[in-house]
Amino acid sequence: MTRLFPRAHFLGALRLLALAAIVAVAMPLAAARAATPAEDFVQTNVQKGLAILNGGGSKEQQREEFRSFLLKLTDLKRIADYTLGPAKNTTSPADLAAFEDAFREYAFAVYESEFSKYSGQTLKVTGSVERKAGDYLVSTVLVDPHAQKGQEPIQVDFRIFGTPGHFTVADIIVLGLDLAITEQDDFSSFLAQNNNSVKALTVELKKRAANVRAGGDLSGK
Amino acid sequence: MRGLSRFFVVGMGLLLAGCATDPTGANDPYEQTNRAVFDFDQKLDKYFIGPSAEAYVAVVPSPARQGVHNFLLNLDLPVTFANDLLQGEMSRAGDTLGRFTINSTLGVAGLFDPATDFGIPAHTEDFGQTLATWGVGEGPYLVLPFFGPDPPRDATGQVVDIFFDPTTYIKLREHFWWSAGREYFTVVDTKSRNLDTLQNIERGSVDYYASVRSLYRQLRNNEIRNGRPDVQNLPDL
Repeated sequence: MTRLFPRAHFLGALRLLALAAIVAVAMPLAAARAATPAEDFVQTNVQKGLAILNGGGSKEQQREEFRSFLLKLTDLKRIADYTLGPAKNTTSPADLAAFEDAFREYAFAVYESEFSKYSGQTLKVTGSVERKAGDYLVSTVLVDPHAQKGQEPIQVDFRIFGTPGHFTVADIIVLGLDLAITEQDDFSSFLAQNNNSVKALTVELKKRAANVRAGGDLSGK
Repeated sequence: MRGLSRFFVVGMGLLLAGCATDPTGANDPYEQTNRAVFDFDQKLDKYFIGPSAEAYVAVVPSPARQGVHNFLLNLDLPVTFANDLLQGEMSRAGDTLGRFTINSTLGVAGLFDPATDFGIPAHTEDFGQTLATWGVGEGPYLVLPFFGPDPPRDATGQVVDIFFDPTTYIKLREHFWWSAGREYFTVVDTKSRNLDTLQNIERGSVDYYASVRSLYRQLRNNEIRNGRPDVQNLPDL
């Protein structure tokens, strides 16, 4: 019951959020069940991602493959625009395009910094909901061979947009922690301290992505 | 000591919260103070809790650490049980009672966790979550020294949970050391199981404080919904 800084579950979930950044897009699905097209989409791509992670070739090749896989799979522009919140409406088209580019590089940097942490986890699709036409929530459960005993099951949900044959992933929710919401809250606090300058945020994200490419970490320091 | 120190810290927090306004939209009217306390908590983590946890992992073998973890979790179950009941979650209350009975006996006072092998899943509840199911809002965001993110609803819950904990009423001769030891090992156990988590989140944030605030709220809301996705209120992407 005692919770110093911070709660056991809080920390546990944060760790899993980081892990899920890589796991969520790259896992095979254990169960065969009658699946909706959106569920099939998640299942197929999870297997594709896993094939890359477990495939041969150099680390460099793997990263490159994984990058083009993610680029096709995810709607990063949709996420990027959402993370700006109301600031998006007051940003010029040129600045917005520059931010979207920087966000894409930053997102890849996040994935790459988690790349080496994959260790055999799988995902099992448990169901899906069509929220409205072309807007789905596909639920999965993380199957982790290294799970500590007594750990609650980890739910990973995917936001899928589009129509069969043209689906994209726009958000990942791990244990209720929503990536898009977290990024928006993170960025809006940065913007509030930097005169709502989307340009400043663009520079910051570019700096961090460049640092990862140079072998450093995401902090950009 | 356990109750008293908590009363003091939480009481100060609630006093502060009493005169809250919300000019920012992030419901964080004491952001400046909160950020200072957050820095203090981080230093505490860096210079005291982190090294303690690293030493714990280095010195104590893994099965013993698992035993300590199980024992501490088992001690929390009466509080979870009380809150399961208060929320009207009878099936979950049954799980909790089953876990406590099995692990306290077959599991040798909670050192082992046979209940999981019997298919009774673990979960936790606290009075902050119970208040939320009764419709009480979180209140303005607060970061308390030693306790981390702890807005008024959750801080109140922690104080009430002291009264649901049977060990509060067992007056051992060495009650102080029992309480302090449980407190210390809970912190070290938590940290040892998540050694690089905060660092990863910190690296991945442009504003670490704001990310933790966001994640804390999302996590609590998820716990309040008992892990069911909030399909209606997803972000408008």
